[in-house]
Amino acid sequence: MSFGSLMAQRNSRPSQGLTIRAMGLFYIGVMVVLPMLVMTYQAARPGPRAFWEAVTDPYALHALKLTFVTAFIMVAVNVVTGTATAWVLVRYEFPGRTLVNALVDLPFAVPTVVTGVMLVALYGPSSVLGAIIGEAGWKVVYDQPGIILALLFVTYPFVIRSVQPVLLELDRAEEEAAATLGAGAFMTFWRVTLPSLRPSILTGAALSFSRALGEFGSVVMVAGNQPLLTKTAPIYIFGEVESGNRHGALAVSAVLLACSLLILVGLNALQRRGGTHDGE
Amino acid sequence: MFQVRPTQLARLALPALLAAVAAGCGVQAAPNADVLKIGAYSVVREVFHEALLPAFAKKWKAETGRELYFEESYSASGAQARSIASGFDADLAVLSHSGDMKLLVDAGKVEPGWDAGPDRGVLTHSLVVIGHRPGNPKSVHDWADLAKPGVAVLYPDPKTSGGARWNVNAIYGAALLRAREANPENPDLAPVRELLAGVQGNVVNMDHSGRRSMANFSEQHTGDVVVTYENELRLRAKEGDPIPYVVPPATLLIESPAAIVEKSVARHGNRAVVEAFLKFLRSPEGQAIFTEYGFRPINPTSESESKTADWPRPQTVFTVADLGGWEKVRKELYAADGLWTTIAAERVRNRGK
Repeated sequence: MSFGSLMAQRNSRPSQGLTIRAMGLFYIGVMVVLPMLVMTYQAARPGPRAFWEAVTDPYALHALKLTFVTAFIMVAVNVVTGTATAWVLVRYEFPGRTLVNALVDLPFAVPTVVTGVMLVALYGPSSVLGAIIGEAGWKVVYDQPGIILALLFVTYPFVIRSVQPVLLELDRAEEEAAATLGAGAFMTFWRVTLPSLRPSILTGAALSFSRALGEFGSVVMVAGNQPLLTKTAPIYIFGEVESGNRHGALAVSAVLLACSLLILVGLNALQRRGGTHDGE
Repeated sequence: MFQVRPTQLARLALPALLAAVAAGCGVQAAPNADVLKIGAYSVVREVFHEALLPAFAKKWKAETGRELYFEESYSASGAQARSIASGFDADLAVLSHSGDMKLLVDAGKVEPGWDAGPDRGVLTHSLVVIGHRPGNPKSVHDWADLAKPGVAVLYPDPKTSGGARWNVNAIYGAALLRAREANPENPDLAPVRELLAGVQGNVVNMDHSGRRSMANFSEQHTGDVVVTYENELRLRAKEGDPIPYVVPPATLLIESPAAIVEKSVARHGNRAVVEAFLKFLRSPEGQAIFTEYGFRPINPTSESESKTADWPRPQTVFTVADLGGWEKVRKELYAADGLWTTIAAERVRNRGK
């Protein structure tokens, strides 16, 4: 499933390959690269100093920090729960497994604004659950935990869906060998299975992290949007666009974009180095 | 064993197929019909769509024998202003406040003298009020009550909502006028700042729009009070979901403007109908329809007075002009070193103390 291996599949006939490559590159150029170049250009145009000022504005800086911290926490949770869920779906037979497997993708189908409304209805101050949480002295919705909750929901499928196929293709002989040699179940998982899964877990983690950096619809509903407290970078960007500070918005967007790019490129490099574990 | 068919990640990356965009949805006037394009802010959607447009179309047909079709667009005031400024060819711009109209003047879409008439470009009046729970359990009557401990306040984010700017301006203005009363030469701004910070400290959630804030208050039962337009609450009551409200002793008059977008009208050649429509909106007949939807009339007549006789009367009503105009208020409150912008930082510092 690695991107590297997909890229390695070359077409055998050179002339046809050239056309297809040109078309592929043209398409990604028009659809992805061009809009981002325009954005980066506009963000950079007023000069490095203005850019630096826009990004280090205390409100912008806090928004960026909050976005990264919440995304990191979300990824840490997702890596564990996503791998576990994939494990359950692949290794265990249980009634309704097909249905559960279909449910995994559902968070992608729900408009993120609806996700936000749902979470407020479930955990909000006026809900039963919200009241119980409030009694305990915690605050979920309209506070930072709400952001993580929303991110967990919208990125739910990523780790599962990247780990699952690898787990399916995994040769069980190695695990059996480990068991024969006297390793316990945990030891087998830790020393034999997990190393094979690591690249796919990383892929899922990086994809969900990138997705979380830009998440707007659900977060704007649950976060509370208070500056220096619960305003994440995408909401900050929206506010700056709405109140006429276009450059401030673009500069922060450029930072988010650069981080996503860095993560995805780094991931690709890591995978190319990581070898061929995915059954090719 | 392998009956699970995992959805491949690749499927998620299916290229978004671009549907053929129906370009050029231009105004095509049939020989015996007129078309009028409206670019308005979301708050007037109900009154326009349900009442004013059908009433005027009927009137126009009776007067000229011509059919009239409307193309309507409603969105947040700032977003609507930006879309008209960058090319949306609405004939008539109806916005939340004249600060947004200034965008259109700067973009050369609306003439600089749009607010020169007897109505100063204003189309509707309303007040900034405080909606509360039945029975007013937190006993909220004035702005200062919003800063009391334990009162959960809702208003949207002034960064994204024109409505929120009216709300914050009202709280600011009431305090500022009191400070000016005490010392006209050199008003003491400390209490103004204290009030704004106190209220902001009680805000549970800043939604991105006024409508969302209202929905949160009424449907999700978030908060004890919601600061909003009076007409929004009266519209809710009309639609069968009444929210009781109080008008603070001193509050801000919401003056929302409308102006002809000269560029579009010149292109569409429909000046006669656009001018007639705007005149109708400001006429006693048009204003009476606005009143039914909770707005206050811009030119009170004896008839409109009798219709709004049982509406709450505030002791003092001030305008943004009394505070120095939109540009001055924007700088003083919402600029990077503005009063409202900086109290957020202060509030975070004081959190947990």
